[in-house]
Amino acid sequence: MTRRRLALVGAVLLVAACVERLTAPGHCPGDFCPSGQITVVDTLLTTAINRDSSYRGYVLAHQSALMLAAHLPGATDTLDGRPIFRINGIGSHFSISTVDTSRGPILGADSARLQLYIVRRDTATHNLRLQLYRLPITIDSSTTFADVTGPFTDSLVRNINIDTLLAQPGRKDTVTGDSVVVDTVNHRLLLSLKLDTTAARYVGTDSGSVAYGIRIAADTLASIAFGKGTFGPVLQWYLRVDSLGMPVARKPGTLGAPLASFVFAPPAAPVDSTLAVGGVPSARSLLRVAFPKAIRDSSQVIRATLFLVPAVAARGAPADSFVIEARTVFADFGGKSPVDLRLGDTTIIHIGSTDTVKIEVTNLLQVWAADSTHPTVLVLRPESEAQFFGEIRFYPSVAAAFRPTLQVTFVRRFPFGVP
Amino acid sequence: MTHRIGGIIAVLLVAPALTGRAMAAAQDSQFGIRGLGTPGRWESVRSRSTGGAFAPFDPLSPLMEAPLADIGQLTATAAGGTSHRDVQEGGTTTALRTTRFPVMGVAGPVAPRLTVAAGFTTYLDKSWDVSFRDSFLLRGVMQRYTDEITSDGSVADVRLAVAGRVSRRIAIGVGLHVLAGSTRNTAQRRFDDSTFNPVQQSAEVRYDGLGVSGSVLIGLAPGLSLSGWARSDTRLRAKVADTTSAVTDLPTMVGGGLLFAPSPSVRFAASTAWRSWSRAGAGAFDTWTWSAGAEFGSRRMPIRLGARRGQMPFSLGTEAPTETAASLGTGRAFAQGRALIDLGLERLERRGGGLTERVWTVLVGLTVRP
Repeated sequence: MTRRRLALVGAVLLVAACVERLTAPGHCPGDFCPSGQITVVDTLLTTAINRDSSYRGYVLAHQSALMLAAHLPGATDTLDGRPIFRINGIGSHFSISTVDTSRGPILGADSARLQLYIVRRDTATHNLRLQLYRLPITIDSSTTFADVTGPFTDSLVRNINIDTLLAQPGRKDTVTGDSVVVDTVNHRLLLSLKLDTTAARYVGTDSGSVAYGIRIAADTLASIAFGKGTFGPVLQWYLRVDSLGMPVARKPGTLGAPLASFVFAPPAAPVDSTLAVGGVPSARSLLRVAFPKAIRDSSQVIRATLFLVPAVAARGAPADSFVIEARTVFADFGGKSPVDLRLGDTTIIHIGSTDTVKIEVTNLLQVWAADSTHPTVLVLRPESEAQFFGEIRFYPSVAAAFRPTLQVTFVRRFPFGVP
Repeated sequence: MTHRIGGIIAVLLVAPALTGRAMAAAQDSQFGIRGLGTPGRWESVRSRSTGGAFAPFDPLSPLMEAPLADIGQLTATAAGGTSHRDVQEGGTTTALRTTRFPVMGVAGPVAPRLTVAAGFTTYLDKSWDVSFRDSFLLRGVMQRYTDEITSDGSVADVRLAVAGRVSRRIAIGVGLHVLAGSTRNTAQRRFDDSTFNPVQQSAEVRYDGLGVSGSVLIGLAPGLSLSGWARSDTRLRAKVADTTSAVTDLPTMVGGGLLFAPSPSVRFAASTAWRSWSRAGAGAFDTWTWSAGAEFGSRRMPIRLGARRGQMPFSLGTEAPTETAASLGTGRAFAQGRALIDLGLERLERRGGGLTERVWTVLVGLTVRP
C-alpha cells in the first residue's frame, strides 16, 4: 500500500519536472491578446512645484575638497581665485643625532621643496603661469580676499611657467630645480618647486611656520584646482642646525598644510527670489512638489523630468562646466533638511548657457510613490559643492511663465482580473 | 475502508500541492487568452483516448456522476499530460510546451447502492504568455516597446459527487461543484529608449464560483446504454486584493452519450455536449462538441481510438473557433487489476481568426484500486 502511494506521488513529481515554454508572439490589439492593455499617460505638471527657495553657505571655501585658482576677466569684473595655505613649522630646535635626544637650535634653512598637486586643469589653456606669494602665517579659515591683497602685491617669491616646465627634457628645470610629474591615469600634475633661502625663510620665532598664496595667469581660460588633504601642499625643509657651534645639515620629515583654502573675488551674490545652485559658498534650492495622489497611489512612474529655466546665464569659469544634482530629503526642515543620499539624478551645467535645464528625476518620484511618508521635496545642489565657481539661477515658481515644471510619464494600474 | 479513502485523498491532494501545478489545465490555447480561459476536458486518459466519447460512461471521468454507481470498490485516479503545441499566425510558427495534471479523484462505495466521489479537474485554464512589439508617440517621439503579458494558473472544479442505482437499469448521480483557483498575472513593457523605465506590474487574481450537476445512466438493453447530464454554474467572481474585479456568468451545459458493446471485447461510444458560453458576455459563443470512439480488446490491455470535433467559446470574430482531434491509446492492468496505467496520444487542431494551433499531447493516467 505504502509503495503504491509513493509510486503515485513519484509519478506525479516526475511529470511535473518537465520544462514549460509558454511565451507566444501576439498581434495586439487582436483576437489573441488580453483584453487589458498597458496604458501610458504623459502629463505636464505646471503648477505642482511651489514654495521653492534658495539657501547659501553649505560648504565654505576652507571646507572644499579643492583649492580653486582662477583669473578670468569678465565684462564687468574679473573672477580671481587664489589658493592660500599655511604649513606649520617644527619649532626652533631640531634633533642633531639620531642615536640620542640631543637637540640644537635651528639656524635657518638652506632651501625647501614645495609639492603641489594640480588636480584639474584645462589642457586648452596655454602659457599657464603660477605666482607664489608669501603670506602672513596668521591666515585662517576666515581670511578674505581683501585681507591678503597686500601680500599678494608685494610678497612674490617665485614665478613658474607650467607649460615651459612641461616642455623641459625629463620635465625638470635644471636651472630652477623645479620639476613636474604627469599622472595621465588620474589626470593630475605633481609640481615640485625648489624654494631658495629667500623664498623659504625659516623663522624660528614663528616656529618655522610659513604661509603661501598662489595666483595664476594664462593666455586664456586660467582656471585650475589644487588638491587638498592627501593631495595637498607638502613642504620639505633642508635645515641648518647648530651642533655645539658647528652648523650641520638636517632634513626633517615632510610637512602638510593644516590650513588650505582659497580666497576669491568678486564674492558670490546674495540669494534672492531665484533658485540659486552652486557657487562658493555653495547654494542649494528646495522645491516642494504637490505630487498628485492619482499618480502616487495607483500608477507606476516610468519617467519624470524636471524642467528648469535659467533666470540668467550660468556663471563661472568658462571651461568648468559643473554638475548639479536633484535629491530628496528625509524631512522638510527648509534649508536644514537632511538630504537623502541614496538616490540622485544629475545634469551638466555649461557656463554661459541659458538653455532650459532638464533633470531626469524618475527614481526620486518612484521613491515618493512607494513611500507615501516620504516628503515630496526636491533639493538642487552641486554634485561637488564649492569645488567650482560655477553657479546657476533658475526662475522660481512665482514666475508664472518660467516656473519649474515636472513632466511625468506613468502607467495606470493594469486591469488584472478582467476577462 | 474510511482510513483507506482518507489516505488516498491525502495523496491525491498533497501531491498537487508539492508540484504547484495541479490546478492547471490539460491544455492551454491562444484561444483562451481573450475571454475567461480555455475550458478544461473532464475526461480520464481512457476517455480522452477515445476522443471523449466514453466520458459519459466512465466513472473516473468527472463529466458525469451516474457511472460512479458501478465503480464497485475504492478507486483513485490521476492523469498528467504534456503538450507540444505549434501556434501558427501570420506566417509565424511558435513552438510551445506545457505539462498539466487535468484530473485527480477518488471514489468508492459507502453503502450497498451509494457511491461517493471527490476530486478535482480543470474548469478553466488561464496559463498563457504573450509577447509583442509595437510603438506609439510619446513626448513627441515614436517610442518602440516590447510588451509581455502573462497569466499563470487556472480555475479548478472541485467536485463532491454522489451516485447510486435506483434500479437494475437506471443509475443517477448528482454533484456539487466548487470553482476555485488563482492566477499570477504580470504585465511588462520594455522601451527601446532606456530613459523610460520598464513597466512591471503584477497581481494575484483569485476566482470563485459554484455549480451543481446531475446525470442519469440508462441501460436500454444488454450492451446498449444511454446517458444524459446537465450542469449549471452560477458565476465566476474574480478578485484582486480582495476587490471584485469582474463577475462573469457561467454556462449551463447539457450532454449525453450512447454506448454500444456488441461483445465484451468491443465497445463503441458517441457523445455530444452543448454549453451556453455566450452568457459570459461579448466575444463568447455557445459551443457544441461531438465525439465518437471505440475500445477493443480485454480490459487488461485494450486498444482505444476516437475522434472529436467541437468549438472553442471565445473569439473576437463572428464565429467560434473550431477544434478537431484524433486520439488513440491503450492501457495495462497490473496486480490483478488493482493498478492500471493508461497511455494516450492526441493530435489536436484548432482554427479561428487566422490562427491555427496544432497540438501533440501525450497522456499518462494512473488508477489504483487498493
